[in-house]
Amino acid sequence: MRRFMRPLIVGLVLLILLALPVTAVLARSYFLSPTWQPAAEQPIAFPHTRHAQVAQLDCEYCHRGVAEDGYAGMPALELCMDCHQSIQTGSAEIDTLIDYFENGDPVNWERVHQMPDHVHFVHSSHVNYGFDCAECHGDMETEIDYAEQVRDLRMGDCIDCHKEYGAPTDCSVCHY
Amino acid sequence: MSARWGMVIDLDRCTGCQACVVACQAENNIPINTEDIFHQRRAIEWIRVERYWEGEYPNVKARYIPIPCMHCAQAPCESVCPVYATYQTNQGINMQIYNRCIGTRYCAVNCPWHVRFFNYWEPKWPESLKHQLNPHVSVRSRGVMEKCTFCVQRIVRTEQQAQVDGREVQDGEFTTACAQACPTDAIVFGDLDDPESRVGQMAADTDRGYQLLSGLGTDPAVLYLKKIDPDAPEENGHY
Repeated sequence: MRRFMRPLIVGLVLLILLALPVTAVLARSYFLSPTWQPAAEQPIAFPHTRHAQVAQLDCEYCHRGVAEDGYAGMPALELCMDCHQSIQTGSAEIDTLIDYFENGDPVNWERVHQMPDHVHFVHSSHVNYGFDCAECHGDMETEIDYAEQVRDLRMGDCIDCHKEYGAPTDCSVCHY
Repeated sequence: MSARWGMVIDLDRCTGCQACVVACQAENNIPINTEDIFHQRRAIEWIRVERYWEGEYPNVKARYIPIPCMHCAQAPCESVCPVYATYQTNQGINMQIYNRCIGTRYCAVNCPWHVRFFNYWEPKWPESLKHQLNPHVSVRSRGVMEKCTFCVQRIVRTEQQAQVDGREVQDGEFTTACAQACPTDAIVFGDLDDPESRVGQMAADTDRGYQLLSGLGTDPAVLYLKKIDPDAPEENGHY
């Protein structure tokens, strides 16, 4: 009995020792998925739906570079103040905005979509191809109030979409 | 999209001023090479200017030759990479994919021109230079190979702009950093497959063109134009 119990126990222990790192790696990639991360808290809680749905503003009204440039861009404070010198003044968030504006400080918005340095995503070619912003960013008009990442946007996700639409999957399209 | 990017370097115009080297370092976020690093032969220079002395004193002549990556059609570096981190794009560029590279350095060993460089250290810049990094080029980390990309970031950008405007990429619309900085216009960059392009015409019209180490049969995309030397003995009616 004892003679074959020992190799059995050793085998089991080895199996568990091997399985642990494998599970850890799998769990890590699962829980580290960008959509699992809590959205960063912004210096000003900017409600997207109120601007896009209630105020009927186009995405491009604030993110002006999206059709011409790689970066969609964040609006200048002057653009916010265009409306907010008279609209909603007195609320706490708008007071913060006015403080930034009067002190001449930029708002340090927290980056929501983190891309590694070796990935070059270009907004303009995707938007000009005809994609709706919601394709990647979710429905910011009616559903998502505070910006968060709703799409995986890791390489597998990008490649799947590129294959589906016949876009190039050459490494150097994104990595250089 | 079917361009075959290439370069013509006229050695008769090159003065060895190293402007191309500096421009390349600035454009491509190449870490600063110190004297110490040079002595260790670990300097990173995507393009370098080699100097040769010719003749006996007092009739000595300095000869300069800028050497970027040759972007060979049959590249010896590509076939030895175990992880396919280097490959030929359909536009004839020999690309290095940093996030795929595991740093075996086989490619550098197999490159006869010594134009592949390994990051032995994490790149560092003085505080004053940190904000001048080019945002369109990745900063390579320790342990990966890097090399001349023919300024692929400029190619991609121009192509994307052309796509947005709904037109083809024009010849001379953009150029590489080295060609842009060259004060004597010795380096010309463009589409070798386009007979109307400037490089296409230069390559077709010249009778002093040669490729560096062409005997290896790797078909480089960089064509050199021989220096015109009035004192040289005539051979076969050429220069």
